[in-house]
This record gives sequence, C-alpha cells and structure tokens, in this order.
Amino acid sequence: MIKRNNKIKKGALLMAAVVAAAGIATGCGNKDNGGAAPESQTTAQADASGKTETAAPDTAFSYPVAEGGTLSYWVELNANAAANYTSLNDTEFGKKLQENTGITIEFQHPAVGQVAEQFNLLLSNRTLPDIIEYSWLTYAGGPQKAIEDGVVLPLNDVIDSYCPNLKAYLEANPDVDKMIKTDDGTYYCFPFIRGGEKLKTSTGLMLRGDWLEELGMEVPTTMDEWHDVLTAFKEEKGAAAPFTYWYGSQGLTDNNPFAYAYGAPRNFYIGDDGSVHYGAVEDGYREYLQTMNRWMSEGLIDVDLATLTNDQVSAKITNGTAGASFGWCGSSLGTWTGAGRTTEEDFTLVPAPYPSVEKGTKPEFGQKDNDFVNMGCAVITTSCENVELAARLLDYAYGEEGHMLFNFGIEGVSYTMESGEPIYTDLILKNPDLSITHAMSGYIRANYNGPFVQDEAYADQYYTLDEQKEALAVWSDTNADKHIIPPVTPTVDESKEQAQIMNEINTYRDEMTLKFILGNKSFDEWDDYVETIKGMSLDRVLEIQNAALERYQER
Amino acid sequence: MKTKERESFWIRVKKDWKRNRSLYLMVLPVILFYVLFHYKPMYGALIAFQDYNPRLGFSGSEWVGFDQFNRFFTSPYFGRLVKNTLLLSVYGILFGFPAPIILALLLNELRAKRFKKTVQTITYLPHFISLVVVTGIIKDFTQSTGLINDIIVMFGGERSSLIQNPALYRTIYIVSDIWQGIGWGSIIYLSALSGVDQQLYEAASIDGAGRWKQLIHVTLPGIAPTIVIMLIMRMGQLLGTGYEKTILLYNEATYETADVIASYIYRVGILERNWSYSTAIGLFNSVINLALLIVTNKISKRVSETSLW
Repeated sequence: MIKRNNKIKKGALLMAAVVAAAGIATGCGNKDNGGAAPESQTTAQADASGKTETAAPDTAFSYPVAEGGTLSYWVELNANAAANYTSLNDTEFGKKLQENTGITIEFQHPAVGQVAEQFNLLLSNRTLPDIIEYSWLTYAGGPQKAIEDGVVLPLNDVIDSYCPNLKAYLEANPDVDKMIKTDDGTYYCFPFIRGGEKLKTSTGLMLRGDWLEELGMEVPTTMDEWHDVLTAFKEEKGAAAPFTYWYGSQGLTDNNPFAYAYGAPRNFYIGDDGSVHYGAVEDGYREYLQTMNRWMSEGLIDVDLATLTNDQVSAKITNGTAGASFGWCGSSLGTWTGAGRTTEEDFTLVPAPYPSVEKGTKPEFGQKDNDFVNMGCAVITTSCENVELAARLLDYAYGEEGHMLFNFGIEGVSYTMESGEPIYTDLILKNPDLSITHAMSGYIRANYNGPFVQDEAYADQYYTLDEQKEALAVWSDTNADKHIIPPVTPTVDESKEQAQIMNEINTYRDEMTLKFILGNKSFDEWDDYVETIKGMSLDRVLEIQNAALERYQER
Repeated sequence: MKTKERESFWIRVKKDWKRNRSLYLMVLPVILFYVLFHYKPMYGALIAFQDYNPRLGFSGSEWVGFDQFNRFFTSPYFGRLVKNTLLLSVYGILFGFPAPIILALLLNELRAKRFKKTVQTITYLPHFISLVVVTGIIKDFTQSTGLINDIIVMFGGERSSLIQNPALYRTIYIVSDIWQGIGWGSIIYLSALSGVDQQLYEAASIDGAGRWKQLIHVTLPGIAPTIVIMLIMRMGQLLGTGYEKTILLYNEATYETADVIASYIYRVGILERNWSYSTAIGLFNSVINLALLIVTNKISKRVSETSLW
C-alpha cells in the first residue's frame, strides 16, 4: 500500500512537471499572460492529482466507479425539463446517470432565464462547483481567458489519462478535435456535438401549402417567385401581412434567408476568397434591403415587423393573417401546423428552400451550425478536488452506454431496440399527459444540449410530421458549410477590442437596416452608411477575425 | 471654539441618549439599512476605474484610471444618448409635471363627493399595473392593427406602425407616463390642498374674489412649497430616465429617439457584461444628477425660500 502511494506521488510529480512545462510554453506564446495564472493552474493540477485515489493510466477501468464519490455540477435546467422537474436529480435521466456511473451528483441550477447573471455571480465565489456547464466561448475574453483567470482546468493530460471515450471520438473526428481546443492546443471542455448533418440545420422558410395548391403555384425557390407568391397571398387570399417572422429573435434575423439569397448575411462569413467578410456593408446587403423595402411598400411584409413577439407571429400564421414565415422546424413548423389544424382542417405549412436569385442554382448560404455548438459545454474547474472522478463522469457520455442514455434514455422504458435501431416508446412519443419535448426531458438530453454527441436518430423521430422531415432535407441543402466561421478564439485583448467595436457597429447596423427597410432612410445614404461603419474601425475587426481564422486553420 | 462646540454636541447627544434611549434603538435598524444597502455598495463604484473581472474581484482587477469614462465620451452614441435622455426628462417635466397638479386642483374644486372619489380611484388604478403589462398594452394599441390605428382609419387616415416611428416615440412615452402616473402623483397635492387654511378662502370671497381668483391667490400659493420641493426632486432625476420602460418599449427602428443612457448601460453593460464600463456611465450619470439637484436647490432657495436643506 505504502509502495503504491509512493508511485502515485511520483506520478503526480511527473504530471505536475509536464503541466508546468506546458504552462511555461503557453506563457511564452502569449505575452500578456503574466505568468501568475499558469503557476496557479499547475498547483491546482498537482493538488488534484495528488488526491486521486486510483492509479492514473487506464488499467481495466469500468463503470460504475468502484469507490463512488460526490461531485457538484452547475448547469442550466432547460426550460423543457424545468416544466416538470426542479432538478436534473429528479429526472429519470439524472437517476440513471448516477446509478450507471456510481457517482453522486449534486446538481446546482441557476434560475431559469438568469443563466448569464448567475454565471457571473458564480465566478465571484472563491470555491466553484466541480463541473460547470455553460456556453464557454462567450466567456468574456474567450476560453483561454477562463483558463488564465483560474476558472477552468486545462484538460490535455486529463483527457489522455481518464477519457478514453472522448479521446477515441476526437481521434476519429479531427474536424471536431480542432474546434474544441484553443489556438495553442489546450483542451478545456467536454463539448456538445451535433452528431449528424440533419442536426445542424433547424431554421428555414415555410409557407401555406394549402394556399399554394389552391392557387396552383409551386413552392418558390427564387426571390422573383417569392414575390409572386406573396403577392398572390395578399390579393387572392386576403393576407394582410403575407410574410411575417419574429424579427426580434437574433438567431433568426442573423440567418435571414432573403439576405442570404443576395449572398450577404448581416454578420461575418467566409467569402469565396477564404477570408472573413462582414456582410452588412456589401452590395448584396444593399440589394436585400432594397428588395425588402420594395416588398414592404407593396404590403408583402408585415408592417409591424420590428415589434412583433413570437406569440403574435404564431397567431398571424395560424389565423391566416400571414401566409409565409421563417422559423424553426420544431417550435414553428410543428407547433403552428398543430395549432392551425384545430381551426382549419386543410392547414398545412410546407418548407421552402433557402432562396437564390437565379433559378436552379443551389443556394450558397443557409443556416447551419458547426459540429461543435457553443452551448452545454462542460468544464472541470480549478476547485475540483477529484479531477479523475469528474473526468470519468463526463467521459461516460461519449461511450456507447452513455451515448444511448443521453440520446434515448433507458432501454425498455423510453426506447426499445427494433432491428438494431433505438425507437422511442409511446411513453415519449404518445404520452397522454406530456408533449414530446416535455416527455423527452425526463429521460434524455438530446432534445436540448449537454456534453455528449447528439444522435441523428433523435431528430428523425422527434420531428413527427412529414413536412418537418422534408424541411430538414430541404433547408440543409445549401453550400453553407463553405461560409460558416468555425469557433475561432481571438486572444484576450483582441476579443475585448472586437467586442467594443462590434457593439457600436451592430447597434448602428440594426438601426439603419430597419430604417432602410421601413423607408425612413433613402438608399442615397447607403454610401454614408458604409463609410460610417468603416469609420467605426470595421477593418480592425476583420483583421482580428482573419488572424484568428488563420490560427484556427493552423491548429 | 470649534472643539468646544463639538464637545457640547457630544454632551448633548449623551444627554439625549439617556432620555430617549428607546427612540435611538428604534432608528438603529434604519441607519443600519442605509449603511448596508446604500453606503457600503458605493464601494463597488470603484470598478468604474478598473477593468473589472468577477473572478479576480475588486482587489485583483486591473486599475485603468479614466479609460472607461473616455470610452463613453468618445463613443459615437454619446451625444445622442445625452440628448435623448435630457429631452425625455425635459418633456416629462414640461408636460408630465403639471399634469397631476392640474388634476388635483380640478378634483379640489369638485363638490360632488361620490364623483370625486370615483375619478380619483380610476386615475390611481394604472399606477398599480406592472410596467411590463402597461408597455404590452401600449404596443398593442400602437401597432398597425391596434386601437389607435382603428381610430385614425375612422377619420380617413392610413394604418401604420406608430411604435416603429421614431418621430412619435417621445409622444407615446410621455403620454403613457402621464396616463399611468397622474392619479398617483396627485395624491401629494391633494393632501397639500387640504392643508390650506379655510379662513383664507372666506376672507378672499368677502373681498370679492371668484373661484378663479381664489385659485390663483389662495390655493396655488398655499401648495407652492410642495410644488417646489417636488420640482427640485424631479430635477435631480433629469438624466435618470429609467431603463425599464425604454427597453420594453423601444426597438431598433426607434433607437434614434428612444435610446437613453440607462438603456445603453443595460445593452452594453449588462447584456455584454462590461461591468466597469456600465458602472462608469452610471457614475457619470449620478454625478450630473447630483449637480443638477444642488443647482436647482440653490436657485429655489434664492427665489422662493423653499429648499430641501
């Protein structure tokens, strides 16, 4: 026993040395590092591994963990779960996870809707929970800063020693591997990964299929066809606001399909030249605004656009005030179809592809996530005393058994295997008391996010309507992959500078965009608009973005 | 001389303490409340001069001097924010401040008790509706399908979204403010009115003053001190237009006239987590407000001999 302990101590020392070396290397790479931060990490790391009870490298490890143990785990309770549970501990998922891993988890949940505020309060505490799940790319200064601030533990050694499942996944998926580390190659989190193409697209255009049929029209694919369809909706079907959508939702407006049609998203994207562009100052964006302005004056777009709430949009779509919209596959297309059918039997919403200007071309742009999404991303904090246990718990999700639990729940209860495929049971899909998402939230996490690989088979079954299944195929058929920016990590100073500049630019862009669309500003002033944005140091931000992209590509 | 005075003050306190021990005990919680919740947090205003990081705390964060203030003063939005904040306040004082006084005077002239009570109750009520609900109602009313547009159409106008029109934003803001606050604001004037000596009215009417003359020469001078005090307090909030109503009511199309300092702090500071920056702006705001309060108080002291201190 004594002998063994000695061995561990030696191991720990060795590891500490390795980490110290890595820390020094980091310090050299980044001038502003100060040097204090890497030191503190090293101590924390050495401390933690010193207290670990089992021998480090993998020797026939298996779940449940033999000695057990308790970990504190801070995570947002998703609204769908919060509808029926006060803690993940109460869900069947939470119970099973603890049973299978043999680890007791003390979940801490911030109040719903106050995640960001409470996250910051949490950071001001001296001792942090062992594990924190958050959108870490949004940490002020980026993940690298979170490590320097002494919040997040670098995971390179931890993954090597205790995380065979995650390691295997990353080795098999080098693209994802690139996304989840910082520029200097430090791993910091257990990521949420979209495990299939269908999971990466969730928003797109939709319109009344029954109206189209009645009018003898096809699903529009170009801007001109959209114009004709919306005009017909207005004149023939009496729609007061033919096209409406929840403009206030940033996620939607960032991906506006009509702006995409002109090749100018309002944000950053990667152009054909391989460098980062800011769409809102380009000619395509002007064309988009001119078209919207024309449609607005023709009464094809909801005049209340800027002030609409999601509820108002839902009402307009379901009661026939509007005939087309832009929204999500589940909460828009699915929900509205269900609601519309309660009053009108033939009510159908059909998905339309991301439009293009020329007919027959594959759309260049569309909404698409990266494989690694900036949410539900778990880190081990520097306060964690039993790093191995935390690593084992988190790594579980990337293994075979954990994958099934996170995506499908408990076999025989929430899913059954039918000819090799996991199929959700009626308890989930046809629960008399609960909607599908609410029922799912008791057993799985695939319907929101978390540190695991989301399974495509989830989406196939979650979207029950044929239109929804079609939507995923239609909406994802774009060249968007070429244009989306991977999760780059600007340096601490860069991200601060960028945030300051972009805050001013985006305010101005948002304001002017609406003025152009509503006709409060004439397009004669377009050049002034572009000059003003350039005057706010847009070029500096592009420089930062391009440098970060280059570093990313060199990872 | 000075020390003597001081001594005598402490001696007086000591004597008073012996006599009114229970009263001192009663005021203690109030003092504690102010120390804990109003004075101690002021320490946090220090972060205006830092690059605050919640993890490093007050003591660990880097000191940056007036950087945060400079950033605000050189922001392209600085001029617009100050202008919008001031204009909303000035309009608020111009139109919103006299409204409850006029209501109170009108109510005071009413003889039918029942009617007076009913009007009072109805005008109070909006004060108790949550701001979120009020702004929701305003938005519904001012959208293109809303009530106000229905009326405009009735008179041959065209439908438009009023809440998206920057030129109308201030009007909507002030009118709804008056609607919501008029009844509640009139209470203090009504109580001041009831304190006006009835003999003065009798004397005035004997001298041949009608109701209008009585109003000008008796009632108004009678409640003038209250009006002045209320005005001074109002001046102290000139740059203090709250963010709550603004962020609930504005949208990107109306930033031009709607965006005020407080809503800017909310957007840039709270949403984007620039703690130091937003504290600096807030501090700037408070300093200006305090200065305005002192100046108004001084003027009022000179002119009308009514003042806060």
